[in-house]
Amino acid sequence: MMPVDITKDEILAVYPKVAQTMADALGCDVEEVALNAPLIDGLGAESIDFLDIVFRLERAFKVKIPRGKIVEDARGDLPEAAFEEKGYLTEVGLQRLREYLSEVPADRFHLPMRMADIPRLFTPETFCKIVARGLRAGPGDPSRA
Amino acid sequence: MDSGLAGKVVIVTGGSRGIGRAIVEMFSAEGADVTFLFRENTAAAAEVVAAGRAAGRQITAEQVDVRDPEGCAAAVERVAERCGHIDVLVNNAGLVRDNLLGLLEDDDVRAVLDTNIGGVFNLTRAVVPHMIARRAGKIINVSSVAGEKGGRGQTNYAASKGAVNAFTRALAVELAPRGITVNAVAPGVIETDMSQAVRDRAGEEVKSRILLRRFGAPIDVAYAIWFLASRYADYITGEVLHVDGGFKME
Repeated sequence: MMPVDITKDEILAVYPKVAQTMADALGCDVEEVALNAPLIDGLGAESIDFLDIVFRLERAFKVKIPRGKIVEDARGDLPEAAFEEKGYLTEVGLQRLREYLSEVPADRFHLPMRMADIPRLFTPETFCKIVARGLRAGPGDPSRA
Repeated sequence: MDSGLAGKVVIVTGGSRGIGRAIVEMFSAEGADVTFLFRENTAAAAEVVAAGRAAGRQITAEQVDVRDPEGCAAAVERVAERCGHIDVLVNNAGLVRDNLLGLLEDDDVRAVLDTNIGGVFNLTRAVVPHMIARRAGKIINVSSVAGEKGGRGQTNYAASKGAVNAFTRALAVELAPRGITVNAVAPGVIETDMSQAVRDRAGEEVKSRILLRRFGAPIDVAYAIWFLASRYADYITGEVLHVDGGFKME
């Protein structure tokens, strides 16, 4: 099941705090953290920064964000073998990812795409949505974060 | 000279006796706030805490099996809640179940690997996010001479300690950009309860294969760990420091 869509209002409600958290983690000015800025290619985040970002967001918003949750949610009820093959997204997998990461411009989704490159698509809005889902779920229900 | 350890928040696994206890006592005597984990020896743990507190030191004990990831994570969170951050992690907890390969039970292999390297993973994974967030921290793993020097009847133990050395070097690379150092100390034959059986079996003969002709004391290892945790080792990472009286070289 794909998680229920988060509204723009919910995203904007958490965005200032998410942006500040990301600025702290990435050592940049909060003004640089635009809602749709690619975290890796735009803000210079490295893979280890995602660990830091998630850790800080969990504390800032008192929500639980399980590691790998974005890909897991994007895959939904699709069998793993249908979502990826030998470390690369399948066509169906790419479609699922595009639907889930609706905040990312469509032209950034293209095959071949390695699973390891999925974080290149993430933006602050991606994390705003995760946080908003976590807040909807309430404390102690990480399965819906 | 100031080691910089006063006021630091330190977690030590396997702290109720042997090398771990020496580390807990040394760090707390420096003014560090030390939490140690222990698995089963409640009386020994209580003794360490009582002795430390009687001397006005900050020592807390947590009963956690390092093989339990959730237990480790929860213990780390309790320390972080209480102290606000974590400065130093000493992965010391270890287990020995020596036997010839053909005589090792499955559980002998599993228990040693799960404790000696699995425990390192469990604690370190829980602590690292706290250190990354502060762009500072020191992780010190207690390895063994067995990680590099072959020893009869130690395939399980040697494999676990070789893994600790490899883990140390890999994590040092991973965390250096965030200002966190990762090092290991590799003790030789140290006079502890854990090594009693090894010393009994090897007898005095083994001393002739140690350059300094004696076994080490827990405090010898604690000094090396103290150094790696201190500000004097700020520029050292990815190292395995041998504290073995030259045993590895023989």
